Amino acid sequence: MGQAWTALALTLEVAGWATALNLVLGVGVGFAMARLRFPGRELLDAALTLPMVMPPTVLGFYLLVLLGSQGPLGAWLDQLFGVRLIFTVQAAVIAATVVAFPLVFKAARAAFETVDPQLEEAARLLGVHEVSIFFRVSLPLAWRGILAGLLLSFARATGEFGATLMVAGSIAGKTQTLSIAVYEAVQAGQDDTANFLVAVTSVTCIAVLLAAGRLVPGRVPQRR
Amino acid sequence: MTWDLELTKRLQHGASRFELQVSLRSAARRLVLFGPSGAGKSQTLKMIAGLVRPDGGRVRIGTRTLFDADSGVNLSPQSRRLAFVFQDYALFPHLTVRQNIAFALSGGWRNPRPRVHDARVERWLETFQLPAVADHFPAQISGGQRQRTALARALVTEPTALLLDEPFAALDGHLRQRLREELAQVLATLNVPMLLITHDDADAQVLADEVVHLRAGRVVDAPQAREPALA
Amino acid sequence: MTLPLRCLATLVLACGFSLGALAAELTVSAASSLTNAMREVAPLFEAANPGTRLQLNFASSGALLQQIDKGAPVDVFASADQETMNQAQAKGLVKAEARRDFVANALVVIVPTAATRTPAAVGDLAQPAYQRVAIGLPASVPVGRYTQGVLEQAGLWAAVEPKMIGAQNVRQALDYVARGEVDAGFVYATDAALMPGKVKVALTVATPTPILYPVASLASSPNAAMAARFVDFLTSPQAQAVFANYGFRKP
Repeated sequence: MGQAWTALALTLEVAGWATALNLVLGVGVGFAMARLRFPGRELLDAALTLPMVMPPTVLGFYLLVLLGSQGPLGAWLDQLFGVRLIFTVQAAVIAATVVAFPLVFKAARAAFETVDPQLEEAARLLGVHEVSIFFRVSLPLAWRGILAGLLLSFARATGEFGATLMVAGSIAGKTQTLSIAVYEAVQAGQDDTANFLVAVTSVTCIAVLLAAGRLVPGRVPQRR
Repeated sequence: MTWDLELTKRLQHGASRFELQVSLRSAARRLVLFGPSGAGKSQTLKMIAGLVRPDGGRVRIGTRTLFDADSGVNLSPQSRRLAFVFQDYALFPHLTVRQNIAFALSGGWRNPRPRVHDARVERWLETFQLPAVADHFPAQISGGQRQRTALARALVTEPTALLLDEPFAALDGHLRQRLREELAQVLATLNVPMLLITHDDADAQVLADEVVHLRAGRVVDAPQAREPALA
Repeated sequence: MTLPLRCLATLVLACGFSLGALAAELTVSAASSLTNAMREVAPLFEAANPGTRLQLNFASSGALLQQIDKGAPVDVFASADQETMNQAQAKGLVKAEARRDFVANALVVIVPTAATRTPAAVGDLAQPAYQRVAIGLPASVPVGRYTQGVLEQAGLWAAVEPKMIGAQNVRQALDYVARGEVDAGFVYATDAALMPGKVKVALTVATPTPILYPVASLASSPNAAMAARFVDFLTSPQAQAVFANYGFRKP
């Protein structure tokens, strides 16, 4: 069952990277969307939410066309850096990041919208600069909502299958994540392997959820 | 001249649109801008603070020019060195009273630690009788204590002027009176000009050296018969 | 609704129901490499057997077998290798008498049309110039098993396997080569013929066992008679002509 442990390690690695990337991207974009007003803002919001509603295989296809060796981005990367993304773990991370992005972005935007802008104004008047205000006022107050989005993002990235299969393929030890390993075990009639993989995946997901529940920061004390 | 204000702005209040045009020069140390709700008092204060950009005009306090449309001066709220107390105080709910007061003293990306020890913070805690609740959160203290915390937080930066937006509106009558007198005492020891906006007559009586009346976005020149204090 | 309209509606519904009662539906699970040919053969069979509709289902032979094994309601199963059909027979899903071979195929090595390197022999794939080779997953894809057989016999499996990009079915392997994501791939001659502009055949590879496709009606099929008729049809001159068009050989 060494295959299962390899697949597990790979799945956690990919999901971890995807969630870390989404932390930066999702929170950044969520904050911008919450605070900036410009024509077409809601249209942009809808476009950024698209990966959540699109079938993963469709998304995977778009990524394949974009990042493939004949695609605009892929050809450029190959020419300039000799980088071929398809069938690499980096492609798996990209697929998982794109698919889970809306979960963090939407949660972050909603969380920042509940932060009273007057608090940020007060901070400005106290002489604190914009970036500091973000880290000292906006982010701490929005953190719990963002964390909820991050958890969902991690879970989604763990289970990512369709888009990953398209751009990262299924290479044992490199891109064969748990979901893909299960799929292939079933196709090959290896039910015992499939059962074991499913059990490992389930236990991992439960463990992550429990651990994350402990990490939710303490509440601001209420008036007794 | 302590206060030199020329402000124009097109505003929308509810369904009505009106043009705010405040022209005001005063040497008073304690100026009260008095008027009913919807007169444009809050907007005026926000423009002085730099939170809202006027369509045109200038803002000068003492010798400092904070805004001048003609010469393109527009200091950010961070650089205006003003103390501002919001109507509902805008205390940071995730920080203790002590951390709130110490907020402006750290410029970096991190908030002051809960056990922060700074002489300036301690002084203001004492002045406003807050040491007992210094380690409490805003949600755990009374309205009066919150107002004082907001004041202390604003004053710790040694500002060049103090702006107050209806500071007693959220409090009940008896408390209001007490805090009004307290504020008067604190102001007596400070050498900082103050501009307070209110629709409460009593505020004007206790705290003002001069009262300017604002109605429908304009300063009303002729002395008005005293308006009954609006609740 | 007015009376005449109501009469019309009832009539239409009645017709619909009666047509449904007459029609027989046959579900055919066929290996991916048969996709195009089967889609052309199906209407011919339907025309010859009015009232019968064919539902075609394509995937790798291994995946299809698992579906059937887990109870998918399939009437006819056509696989790309004997091995998968043997497994089906061993599980009691098909009977030996119902089984027959209907087409043959060849294994080829293809490269992208724009490729600068073309292998002259299978051994060339062991060279560092070839970093990625698309091969069907041997556990479930017949073309992958044939490939592994060939490479093992030539003593090349150890050298080529690390470069293997596993494909879920032969069409995916074809797609990888067509997109230029791999340097070479193993597919059937019939698959290569589908994308002349995107892939070119580098060499035809002799396999230890001939590539023979078996087809069988399933023991559990409720349309046993019609299923058997379809199996026969596949060996008829009419159907064979279609297969030949796509490059399949006679069994």
